[in-house]
Amino acid sequence: MTGSVPSEEVPQPGAVPNLHLGRVHRSKLANGPEVMVVPRPTVPRVELRVSVPAGAAAGDSAAAAELLRMGIPLGTRELDQEQLAERLQDLGGALQVHQDLDRLTISAAALSEAESELYQLVASLVQEPDFPRDDLAIEKAKLVEGLRSARATPHFPAHEALGELVYGRHPYGRREPTEGEVARTGRRALQELHRKTFTPSLAQITVVGDVDPRSTIRRLRTAFSGWEGPRKGWKAPRVRAMTHQDLLYLERPGSVQTVVVAASSGPTMGEPGHIAFSLATAVLGGGFTSRMMANLREDKGYTYSPHARVESHSRDGLASASMEVRTEVTAAALAELRHELARLATVPVPEDELATTRSYLEGARLVTLQTQAGLASALAQVRGLGLDHRYLERYQAELERCSAEDVMGAARRYLSPTRMTTVLVGDESAVPGLEALAPVRHRRPRG
Amino acid sequence: MEPGHGGGPGSGSQSHSPGERGGASLGCYDAEVDSEASTAVTTARLENGLEVVMSPERASPTVGVGVFYRVGFRLEPEGRTGFAHLFEHLMFQGTPKVPKPHFGNLINSAGGLLNGFTRHDYTAYFEILPTSALEMAVFLEADRMGQLDINSGTLRNQLQVVEEEVRVNVLNQPYGGFSWLWLTQHAFSRFPNNHNFYGEFADLEAASVEDAVEFYRSWYGPGNATLVLVGDFDPDAALQLVEHHFGSVAPRPEPPQPDLEEPLPADRREHRHLDPLAPTAQVAVGYPTAPFGSEDHLPLALAARILTDGRASWLQRTLVRERELLLHVAGGPLYPIGDSFEFRGPALFTIEATPREGVPTEEAVLALDRELARLAADGPTEEELHRARRRELARHHATTDSRLGRLTTLGVMAAVHRQAKLVDLLPQRFAEVTPAQVAEAAGRWLRPEHSTVLHWLPGAGGEGR
Repeated sequence: MTGSVPSEEVPQPGAVPNLHLGRVHRSKLANGPEVMVVPRPTVPRVELRVSVPAGAAAGDSAAAAELLRMGIPLGTRELDQEQLAERLQDLGGALQVHQDLDRLTISAAALSEAESELYQLVASLVQEPDFPRDDLAIEKAKLVEGLRSARATPHFPAHEALGELVYGRHPYGRREPTEGEVARTGRRALQELHRKTFTPSLAQITVVGDVDPRSTIRRLRTAFSGWEGPRKGWKAPRVRAMTHQDLLYLERPGSVQTVVVAASSGPTMGEPGHIAFSLATAVLGGGFTSRMMANLREDKGYTYSPHARVESHSRDGLASASMEVRTEVTAAALAELRHELARLATVPVPEDELATTRSYLEGARLVTLQTQAGLASALAQVRGLGLDHRYLERYQAELERCSAEDVMGAARRYLSPTRMTTVLVGDESAVPGLEALAPVRHRRPRG
Repeated sequence: MEPGHGGGPGSGSQSHSPGERGGASLGCYDAEVDSEASTAVTTARLENGLEVVMSPERASPTVGVGVFYRVGFRLEPEGRTGFAHLFEHLMFQGTPKVPKPHFGNLINSAGGLLNGFTRHDYTAYFEILPTSALEMAVFLEADRMGQLDINSGTLRNQLQVVEEEVRVNVLNQPYGGFSWLWLTQHAFSRFPNNHNFYGEFADLEAASVEDAVEFYRSWYGPGNATLVLVGDFDPDAALQLVEHHFGSVAPRPEPPQPDLEEPLPADRREHRHLDPLAPTAQVAVGYPTAPFGSEDHLPLALAARILTDGRASWLQRTLVRERELLLHVAGGPLYPIGDSFEFRGPALFTIEATPREGVPTEEAVLALDRELARLAADGPTEEELHRARRRELARHHATTDSRLGRLTTLGVMAAVHRQAKLVDLLPQRFAEVTPAQVAEAAGRWLRPEHSTVLHWLPGAGGEGR
């Protein structure tokens, strides 16, 4: 197939258009929260994001951080979880609470006619979540069951081990909660963590939808004006990431596939070098046409969904490449992945391939930001990292400026085989072949 | 759009998911918005039989292009389980004009996202891209409808990829394929409805180039397809493009309409599946559900919302919080890979539950039976029904706001039911449903004697593994 080219009949597309968010309205509430409102009247809905520095790495315990997230929808003293859920449904609404490592984000939506009520409901959850003991006990049982199920998957132990290897004792590398920690975490611990981390002066409120910005800002001010809290909030300490040359092999008896995850810490969004780092990662494993897809799937047939991505935290960006391969080809697949990493670090990416990858990233962003929900979430994310809407608008130009040399430099610095830390989870029969590639630390299941 | 893990069969992976699918659920509709031009739907038919559905919305410079073929799991030949999905993969493997791997390269280099997915009664392919790439996407879809390069090399390659897909989503996961893949095999008695939709490996490996050529010839003609365009385009100009590129695709013989029907079971069937990876027991109960367009269809769609959707739902309140028997409960028609509108032919209304530690799955099923009987006897309150309608309305707006959501809801309704315009009319229909109708529908369909129960238990050596 190599060498064959598409017919000249294929119509030529134009360039990916630049992203224009239109007028963005900003305000700062007297008690601290920064507000951003983007009118987007495509459908009569409103999307709200309220974000605070209460991420999965916050506080002293992984169990408390996770239960804080799960405890927000349990309502307030005035409105229990069932009444809250009924009110939200009346508003045509929905509510979810997300956490990344650094921040917790309440994500809510409603029909735009119910805008004020939505803000009031979310403001009450932010200020006085109740964590009632009976309801909390049910959430704890759900969390224990969820952790058991997650541990039974091959991906969960892979990511947990990788976090520990890359971040060591830094909270980013914290293990998932144990059942004992969940049992020991009570209502008081959550109230304490809430009090410390729901800091209005570090809060960000984002609204996208069919709204009038001036009245939206007024309504937000009314709803959130009573929010008080400490002036200083939690922030993750600086990361000193580690690299491990040997392969960590977690044995999972009877696995019919091996999960392979390789990761490396680099610059986060907004830091110098981040764009080259993420572009290099996308050449490796973003989209249908990435090198991992072309080689490991479409040529070798080793795997279904090989991919690589960068996850941005406040203190670093973590690139990870992952794939699930049948046990027999584990070593061959890892050898191919390392070959691709080495090639990226030593041979400039051809200009047409780089152009394809840039367009893929630009188009994916354009599509994601096309919906009210997608735009609200993207704005909340970049704001959480200390950036703003201009980062989204400038992204395309920055990608265009990033050269093949820049990409090779970033790959050499962050993605070469000697920079990646690798964890595998699978049946022990895959281990002997791997020893030809690198020393293997083989960890057998306990008991 | 497919999630990489735990979802239904597709071509892609999590790495190119453009965000929320949105199309997982269809909602009712606000009549006042219906009159706005932004959501108008127009349809056309080409001489070769291709149905065209267009819904312009010009607020952002992107378009969605989708082709929905009226063939899915049910119509794959006996001895070739999993073939519909395997074939979906072959549609990305090149044509004489656009050899492998240029289909994906061209879409990505235009700034587009692409994927495909296979369901019971249709197979969908889509691209979401900047407006300036509309004609290219139309050309590429017409090209692969007209002529496909099917060869033993790409067949072998994609067979391996599909086997890895089954391993990652089913064989190497706890609860892999639980109700959508295994419960259905026990609940129905005829091949189209009760085989392994992902495919037995022996069947997949037996697939030949001739099988693929025959499948393509039978089911992938323009007369068996619906093209959907959504987003930033002018309908008249777009229809000219469509005629220009698709008009030359030769018509193929009308495919047969196989009989899919089967009798309702007279007694509850119970099965046990042992899963060595599962840490705790789960249970699924499947009830044959009301056919599309029948008087019970929409009431049962609302019953699903009332019973299982969110913390204010009936089963969350009674069985999770009040009686503390379950930790999780979820369900509905074609759960978890579809909704009330994604099927033509027998389908299950499924409820999946995770009992609390120490609660036997049998007790969970008895408790479910009692709650469903209570819904049939008492019906929902007017407030419960109102909230279900509001939720449908909100979902409808969210779906309409997304190119992929709009594309998928229109494509399914057009391809599976030939009623694209119904998407925007559902609101009034949902608004007319009464509590008594929900109760009657539940009483007719959600009956223990028609149901199939799958107890999914921790332990070694289950069926299907």
